[in-house]
Amino acid sequence: MNLALISLALPLVTALLLMLFRSRGWVWVALASLLSLVSAAGALYEVVGGGRQLLYLGGWDSALAIRFQLTPVSGLLLAFTALIHLLVAIYAARSHHSQTRDSDYWPLSCLLHGSLAALWLSVDLFNWYVTLELLGLVAVAMITLAGPKAYGAALNYLTLSLGASLFYLLGVALMYGRYGVLDVLLLVELVEADNSTRTAMILMSLGLMLKAALWPLHQWLPAAHASAPTAVSALLSALVVKGPLFILWLLWSQVAPRELAAQAGPILAMAGILALVAGGWAALRTPYIKTLVAYSTVAQLGYALLALGLLLHWQIAELHVALWLFVLAHGLAKVSMFLAAGEMQATLGSRRVDSLKGATQTMPVAMFAFAVAGGSLIGLPPSGGFLAKWVLLQPLFLEPRHWPWAFGVMLGTLVTAAYVFRVVALAFDRARPMRPDYHPDPFAQWLAMLPALLVWSMALISEPLILWLTGVTD
Amino acid sequence: MAWTTALPLAIVLSSLVPGLLIFALREDQHWQRTALNLAGVFTKLLLVALMLYGVSRGLVFHFSLPFLPDSELVFQGDALSLQFVGLSSLLWLATTIYAIGYLEDSPLRSRFFGYFSLCVSATVGLALAGNLVTFLLFYELLTLATFPLVVHRGTPEALRAGRVYLAYTLGGGTLLLMGVALLHSLTGSPDFMPGGYLAPLVESHPASLVMAFALLILGLGVKAALIPLHGWLPQAMVAPAPVSALLHAVAVVKAGAFGILRVVYDVYGIEPVQALYLDQPLLWLAASTIIYGSLKAMQQQDIKKRLAYSTVSQVSYITLGVALIGPLAAIGALVHLVHQGLMKVTLFFCAGNFAETLGVHRIQEMNGIGRRMPLTMAAFTIAALGMIGAPPIAGFISKWYLGLGALQVDHAWVLAVLVASGLLNAVYFLPLIYRGWFAQPPDQWHHENRRWKKTRPGWRETHWMLLVPTLFTALLSLLAGIFAGTDISPLAWARLIVAREFGA
Repeated sequence: MNLALISLALPLVTALLLMLFRSRGWVWVALASLLSLVSAAGALYEVVGGGRQLLYLGGWDSALAIRFQLTPVSGLLLAFTALIHLLVAIYAARSHHSQTRDSDYWPLSCLLHGSLAALWLSVDLFNWYVTLELLGLVAVAMITLAGPKAYGAALNYLTLSLGASLFYLLGVALMYGRYGVLDVLLLVELVEADNSTRTAMILMSLGLMLKAALWPLHQWLPAAHASAPTAVSALLSALVVKGPLFILWLLWSQVAPRELAAQAGPILAMAGILALVAGGWAALRTPYIKTLVAYSTVAQLGYALLALGLLLHWQIAELHVALWLFVLAHGLAKVSMFLAAGEMQATLGSRRVDSLKGATQTMPVAMFAFAVAGGSLIGLPPSGGFLAKWVLLQPLFLEPRHWPWAFGVMLGTLVTAAYVFRVVALAFDRARPMRPDYHPDPFAQWLAMLPALLVWSMALISEPLILWLTGVTD
Repeated sequence: MAWTTALPLAIVLSSLVPGLLIFALREDQHWQRTALNLAGVFTKLLLVALMLYGVSRGLVFHFSLPFLPDSELVFQGDALSLQFVGLSSLLWLATTIYAIGYLEDSPLRSRFFGYFSLCVSATVGLALAGNLVTFLLFYELLTLATFPLVVHRGTPEALRAGRVYLAYTLGGGTLLLMGVALLHSLTGSPDFMPGGYLAPLVESHPASLVMAFALLILGLGVKAALIPLHGWLPQAMVAPAPVSALLHAVAVVKAGAFGILRVVYDVYGIEPVQALYLDQPLLWLAASTIIYGSLKAMQQQDIKKRLAYSTVSQVSYITLGVALIGPLAAIGALVHLVHQGLMKVTLFFCAGNFAETLGVHRIQEMNGIGRRMPLTMAAFTIAALGMIGAPPIAGFISKWYLGLGALQVDHAWVLAVLVASGLLNAVYFLPLIYRGWFAQPPDQWHHENRRWKKTRPGWRETHWMLLVPTLFTALLSLLAGIFAGTDISPLAWARLIVAREFGA
């Protein structure tokens, strides 16, 4: 059996088994994530060496069967998903403050892992619909683990997610009616720039943008991500919103007719810059720690949207690299940030940003993790965020008429710096007296630091990483 | 790995490693912390001395790591970087000893000294950076490492100053990033080289080059405190005295000025700068900053604030010398990089001594302080006279060369700026000297420090760890002036650099 399919099957099987055997769930989840990571790494190695693979489930022919595609990008995302799941599982199991240790978190997180893996591997409009539905439902269920106070946000998310799915499904139906195929690889050869295709693309994109919380369809995200348990917030921000983004990227960069893509590009890019500024501004204003981090996700997705929009507009291959570097760097940094924020919030006993006053003295490791992860979001050299921004800026500077876009990137950088250092500056204030139940958890804080260090250590392999991504995304 | 390859890296690591170790120390591990600090300081001095010797013999020190496509992470030891590295490591020695004495028994010292070492590592990394991308990396790192030092006291004023500092420096860093990325998109980021590497693009991409120059100078101008980007500097003086000393003399403002040197000499090159008419705006900016800083300094009644505005004015001498585009002015700029550092660090040490020993913060309170603290006041007098430009102190040498340089390139009006600035310097420094030596002291010093009992005029006038560095740097500023003509002076080294840059 193919390694990529093993990486997909492991979490799904574990999820089913956990329905039966409920005790010590975290051991199985961590083990499944680890094995899934190893097989994803193996699959990545194979696909980089041997090129794109098509996988037929059950041995059926292409027109009837479910067919999966393993590309270097999907291999990379498979490994990335497993890595994040592994980190978060250890946190959820070991932190004193984890709200998810003895809950339904374990089977749900496995299902989430499985549906994401299926999404990365699918190349079929309808398969994507199925994985998106599964992803949305599991995500809503995981938010409700936080208890009744999260029900409102979860319900809101559920409604919007179902609405978004309908939009997407409508678009898929139109495409099927027009061309009679759903397989993307077949569709690529048939597609024409007519009205029904245009309508279908717009409908699908609206649905996907709503699910990926791309500005201006992001309103559900801050409440949902902030009210979820810490481990779930980390998974949602780092991975779940990237699923619909991946589909959007494939749809527009491969399926959409060139003229249509070139028209849509500037609109998407503009939305990206507005996301950066508006999301950053909201993060600067909110009084709550986790809401700040959630708004930062809205803002950072703006970079991805900007890269995607400009990519469609100019067809410059480097921008693929920028897009995926943003996704990787943001995912790692955001896991770190949510875990650190969650730890500080639980230890200091308040959800408010003000309570972080003096955190450099009371919780130095968690605060440092927050600052280091924030440095990557700002794009300080040599972090992963910097690499992404650097690759994005290079084509923007080549011609003077592209410079206004670079100005947008600069605005985004400044707003990001403002909300990150809003927290960091507060942490250097003199600390308040400790609460009597002050009980920090050093292991969990160092665990929060780990992904932040990983995103900065992308600098060590930056040149091969960029060159490699340049080679595989063409 | 050959030793010439490893040496630049070792110089950066010699403060980075002790700094990281210090973070791990408990608050009460006083001796371990001091030992790590001093070990770092002396190792670095030794390594820098070795490199100085090597470079004067014509050896090439070059270390590189792969980083971005078309741009490696490069450390290189050339004559220009050594001017800055030498200054930083020498003043780091003085400032470390001063800081150990200054912060005795205060809280959060491990955090302080950890970031202090990081700050010096960033400065040295920036000085040794061999291309723009590496320079950018350490420029940002310097911002991050100095911020905790500025807000170290955790008071509302410190935090406010810290926020202002961050807003300015991160904004500047972003502009610099944009400038570096713009140049990189044109030619990649090759190593710095005398004469620059952009000359072939002057014909084909003039707009891009002008834009990039504006971005780079604005980004660097924030740290170099060029008006109107200087607003953070007077506020940042709420930091503890050793931090102010380091910020004003070496680390931050000099990083900006040094960057301007690099951009003009080693990235653009002199002829492209002139061909694109970029030198004139820079010259005007520097000249107006010099006058503006002096005028503002006159209005300040707080000693440290007056010193801060004096820095705004004095650091722009370096930019002025660069913008004049002539070998003699270049010598003036390069030598002022060192001289201003020596004198300004002395002045801030003295201000710190007054504040810590007698609680004197304002100029009116300085009456008769020379009788109570004669040695500190003597050091203050030397440094202040040097700032005014009185021979034979170091400041005179820089002004002399700047003046000659202005005449050499037919900008006589710059001479008027220099004279006016010298007069203004006298107006705001001489009253302090007069009050200190000749005014009647108060009957009792109200806020006399109780920590060190039995302080009395002379060698015991304050804690020895505060006094010795002050005298040491004052002596250096005197010696740098007196022995300017010898082969081992900063002036001789500046001549060497200019000979290599201008090919004369």
